[in-house]
Amino acid sequence: MRCPVCDVTFKAEATTAPPFCSERCRTIDLGRWLDEANALPHVPDPEADEEPENIDRA
Amino acid sequence: MSDELPQDETPLKKASISKGNEDYGQGDLEHLSDLEHVRERPSMYIGDTTARGLHHLVYEVVDNSIDEAMADFATEVTVTINGDGSVTVEDDGRGIPVEKHDQLSEQMGREVSTLEGVMTVLKFGGKFSKGAYQTSGGLHGVGVTVVNFLSEWAEVEVSRDGHVHHQEYERGVPKGPVRRVGATSRRGTKTTFKPDPQIFQTTKYVYATLVKRLQELAFLNRGVKITITDARTGDSETFQYEDGIRQFVAHLNRASEAAHPDILHIADEQEGVGIEIALQYSGEYTENVHTYVNNINTTEGGTHLSGFRAALTRTLNNYGKKEGLFKDLVPTGDDFREGLTAVITCRVPHPQFEGQTKTKLGNSEVEGIVNSLFGDYLSKFLEENPKTAKAIAKKGLLAAEARESARKARQLVRERKGALSGGSLPGKLRDCSSRDVDRCELYLVEGDSAGGSAEGGRLREFQAILPLRGKIINAYKSRDDKVLANEEIRSMISAIGIGFGIDQDLTRRRYGRIVIMTDADVDGSHIRTLLLTFFYRQMYDLVAKGHVYVAQPPLFRVRKGKHVEYVQTEEEMKSQLLDLGLGESTFDPGDGRVIEGEAMIKLVRTLAALEESIIALERRGIALKIHALKQDPVTGKLPVYNVFVGIQEHWFVDRSELDNFLKSQESASGSELVVDGAGAKDETNGASDENRLRIVELHEVRTINTLLGDLRGMGFEIDSLIPQDRTGEEGSRYTIRRGENESGLEDLRGLPGAIRAAGEKGLQITRFKGLGEMNAEELRDTTLHPDNRTLLQVTMQDAGAADDLFRVLMGDQVEPRRDFIQKHALDVKNLDV
Repeated sequence: MRCPVCDVTFKAEATTAPPFCSERCRTIDLGRWLDEANALPHVPDPEADEEPENIDRA
Repeated sequence: MSDELPQDETPLKKASISKGNEDYGQGDLEHLSDLEHVRERPSMYIGDTTARGLHHLVYEVVDNSIDEAMADFATEVTVTINGDGSVTVEDDGRGIPVEKHDQLSEQMGREVSTLEGVMTVLKFGGKFSKGAYQTSGGLHGVGVTVVNFLSEWAEVEVSRDGHVHHQEYERGVPKGPVRRVGATSRRGTKTTFKPDPQIFQTTKYVYATLVKRLQELAFLNRGVKITITDARTGDSETFQYEDGIRQFVAHLNRASEAAHPDILHIADEQEGVGIEIALQYSGEYTENVHTYVNNINTTEGGTHLSGFRAALTRTLNNYGKKEGLFKDLVPTGDDFREGLTAVITCRVPHPQFEGQTKTKLGNSEVEGIVNSLFGDYLSKFLEENPKTAKAIAKKGLLAAEARESARKARQLVRERKGALSGGSLPGKLRDCSSRDVDRCELYLVEGDSAGGSAEGGRLREFQAILPLRGKIINAYKSRDDKVLANEEIRSMISAIGIGFGIDQDLTRRRYGRIVIMTDADVDGSHIRTLLLTFFYRQMYDLVAKGHVYVAQPPLFRVRKGKHVEYVQTEEEMKSQLLDLGLGESTFDPGDGRVIEGEAMIKLVRTLAALEESIIALERRGIALKIHALKQDPVTGKLPVYNVFVGIQEHWFVDRSELDNFLKSQESASGSELVVDGAGAKDETNGASDENRLRIVELHEVRTINTLLGDLRGMGFEIDSLIPQDRTGEEGSRYTIRRGENESGLEDLRGLPGAIRAAGEKGLQITRFKGLGEMNAEELRDTTLHPDNRTLLQVTMQDAGAADDLFRVLMGDQVEPRRDFIQKHALDVKNLDV
């Protein structure tokens, strides 16, 4: 697995806080959610009505 | 016992006299007082008489040899723990001088060699006259004399000027004068001593303890070769480090992944104070800094360490601010020390040691020297090594973030404790009435208006509704970002009930299913991605145990008279319209044929499939009309591979053609072609431009080729897909007939659209722009009621894929972000119906 915060690669069984490498990184990520820092780029969409399917499964 | 003499000197005087030293005089008296004093109060000289002090004896002797090595007179130091528990330290230095020492001889009233002076008179060594060594080690500068005084017996052998000189001692007292015992061509000093059990609590040497310090000395004194052998076990190790403390840092970081590849290193001098520092950040979170003054491990730190820390914090902060890396959060000194591995060594002519164990440097001038030399070096280094500089700054920022996040998490725990005792759930939650957890469902609904419909349409007994909104923030000047608001995150955590972080407990969940329900548009899919990523990261077990679902609200409502149907996807809608439109339609290609029935269905379906691939091709900026010009005249296939060698462009229809070409190119040029990096950013990796190979595979053309083949089977060539110049001709090129109706077409690509348009007749098709456009009843019938709805259970793969996508979009790499945005901007444009 690759830790979403520190990018380190580790074995899944080596962590108590999957998918993070450590509690610490999980906490950092939680802090980012609470801080509204975990963001996706907003695609300006003038018509706002069309539908690209499977964005998150692509 | 004489009253004139201090009492404590008497026994040794007697001992000395009993040895029959006829030359005993007032010089001996002082000498005896030294010996007596050291043996009475050994802790004053070597710290203590435990194992620590015992091992210290070895270091005192080794320090002398290291001094010889650092003054470039010796290259090798050998330490041996002998079978009888004594220790031998040998070097190949100049050897302690053995000639008569005038001052001492006069004092003692007999001929005394310098060697004997070194071994038996305190503060006699060369270390105290600045001439012999610039700066030297040794904890208290007491040296080998004290070792001799505290040994049951000792002997020293000096090879010098072609001879071997030898002297033995018993509890510090020479057993005779220095004797010449033979000729030699070698040089150096060999000291053997056996610690006195009358002094030490233990006299057993521990190999590992000596190894640790000797290795440390080898790091600190670059190039010196130190060998330790344990004759009791046969163990032996040799240490020699040409890169000195740089290798020390690499050694300290050996077990963890470094945060950057390079080891920073400075060696400089100012006002007679020499400093050398090596450092590298590791993947760990602890600080690992070792400081030394004149080879002494200053475990309590001191002015050199404080100067270093001040410069580190100041310089990194300046860098981060200048580069705009520290915006909301500025790392503290502690943050910059997380994961820091450093070795700091100083050469100080007159060190002052303070602290409990006298291992804290007190010289105030050193602080300023280290601060300014290291600060200047570091800021220059950061300037010249932006990649490492960023890695270090990022590391500090992460540490600051960890500190802040931990604070926020603690606050959240407190709030939740308060909330639980008050029994309060988020204000926006419309909870269900049942408490049967496995039956209960929580719908996370995008938007307040959809939340309203969902509230009206839900099955109140076991369905709860929590409306959520994506929030647009202006993260950077040039970019808007979408986030889940802080309040929404808190609401979800509190509604779901399992807590967060390490104290998470799935058994406390308040619902059996968490259902994500978002609009079927870009915004909706973004919020879905955010939510899936959040659950995957922060409520991993909830996803792993299959509690998370995605609702499938319909995209279209199709009304025919009184009959209502819902259609979930774009593809399904298109396919239904095609079926409806085909009905009695016939197609007149203008060549006398009439295409109808099965042949008509086959033609339209082939064209519909073809259209998708043609759009994919056009998205690359390649028009079908242009690509058709490259058609292979024999097979009718279009090229799939677009190949650049240097600036020359080539096209190939399949892999074997491409491979043949590459082979002939390589044999012609005689060298292998260099495949261009995907990013094509690194232009300077040595390959000449003529040899640079770039292959673009147009995957969609494979499909196009297959379908073109099918089309040919039906009697249509590629030209039929491209509008032709029909100047002078009358009527349409192609004609579609359906009962009485007739319509014209200029190319075949328009056929599926025309058929669908026909299929749409008599139907009332509504495309839901959002969940909010459905009323409560509709929402219940299609998406909420267990009898009619489709729920997709989110697998770990789904959630992991959302997380992957999230990382790409969050990441620093501009390229994938831009690709993503462009792709979706195109998707939006190209969809019809």
